[in-house]
Amino acid sequence: MIRVKLTAQLKDWTNGVSSLEMDTVPDLQSMVRKLDARFPGIGQRIVDDQEKIRTHVNIFVNSENSKDLQREMTKLRDGDTVHILPSVAGG
Amino acid sequence: MTKGDGRQVLMVGTRKGAFVFTSDSGRRSWKLSGPELKGNETYHMAYDRRSRTMLASVSSSHWGPTIAKSKDMGKSWKVSRTPPKFPKGSGLSVARIWQIKPGTDDDEGVVYAGVEPACLFRSDDGGEKWTVNEAMLNHKTRKKWQPGGGGLCLHTVVLSERRPKRILIAISAVGVMRSDDNGETWSFKNKRLLADFQPEKYPEFGTCVHKLAINQSKPDTIFQQNHTGVYRSDDAGDDWKDIRNNLPSRFGFPAAVDANEPERFYLAPLEGDFSRIPLGGQFAVWATDNGGKEWSKLDSGIPKTSYFTVLRDAMVTDQGEPCGLYFGSTTGQLFASRDQGNKWERIADGLPPILSVSVSSA
Repeated sequence: MIRVKLTAQLKDWTNGVSSLEMDTVPDLQSMVRKLDARFPGIGQRIVDDQEKIRTHVNIFVNSENSKDLQREMTKLRDGDTVHILPSVAGG
Repeated sequence: MTKGDGRQVLMVGTRKGAFVFTSDSGRRSWKLSGPELKGNETYHMAYDRRSRTMLASVSSSHWGPTIAKSKDMGKSWKVSRTPPKFPKGSGLSVARIWQIKPGTDDDEGVVYAGVEPACLFRSDDGGEKWTVNEAMLNHKTRKKWQPGGGGLCLHTVVLSERRPKRILIAISAVGVMRSDDNGETWSFKNKRLLADFQPEKYPEFGTCVHKLAINQSKPDTIFQQNHTGVYRSDDAGDDWKDIRNNLPSRFGFPAAVDANEPERFYLAPLEGDFSRIPLGGQFAVWATDNGGKEWSKLDSGIPKTSYFTVLRDAMVTDQGEPCGLYFGSTTGQLFASRDQGNKWERIADGLPPILSVSVSSA
């Protein structure tokens, strides 16, 4: 299993769910697809039309930013915790 | 004649959300509601009279662009779960939705969206699910299309009840394209449009159209504000004629046609490409009563010092009698005229930067 924690900014897409568990999937792209199947529309908020992580969205695997790993193709393992957060933009 | 009881609804899209202004029947006082869709760039809005639905193009800097719909005149909104999206493998991703255009009365449920990078999308269910226009996506010249200053954007969609299969679109800096078969095929309509920033001065495509406008009673007459001039076509874009004449500048962005007088056309000229500020430091609308032979300045009520930027979608005419005219600035001022631009009144100040102004009778 992996645990996915979502920013409150996405609560409109998740009916208020901010944390969930799902069966382990191979990578972040698969995880986003699975999230979208459960919460239709959320996928396109997180990734663009070509399934690339949006510029101002950060996905952390445990404490590592996926943009420092293999981005949407970052591998996932059983027990991982994934955080989906908006980047700090501006300021 | 004025539709309905004369009340107008102004839909004002701003950098920070949507505002709705509703007038009394005389268009003398305005009631503000909003902002809704707070914090979201609301790039364009439209009212679909067929379904009594307000539509908005909204974009979050984090979560991307989508379409929102309201069934209660902007009080509450529902965001599309399936907004315009390019197919996988195209290499394209929707960056912004520039224009929302409800279809003609006979096309129940049809709504068009013009997006960046330039392409047209169509919805057949009132704006929930969207399909890319394959003919435009796969157009043989697409790889040669170049962006204007605002990006490679399809910013204008023109439809006519009297020409139900025709779609006219404008792309910066590609030019005008027309389909006569509901978007199955497209042809460029840029004859005699100057492109003096190109090696070829009159190319088939690569002109910089800024805005198109028509009066629905004369659907074959198209007015155009271009980067390089002001033009009209009387054959739906097959040929264009320069109608700048005594206008003080060839450059500007917004364009609108009077609802009742099809030869009365409104523009907002700017000094020129490299400064893009109002002439003499005072924003003014210019109008022609005779299809472009002569132009006159309409600035009564506009501050003498008004370095306003009015974006291409931020000036619009209503369906009233006499025609009302509205513009909003990126400094948050909203102006209205209920007499064809002859006298202006500021009806709001201090709004977020205004990106678009749309209007519908209430």
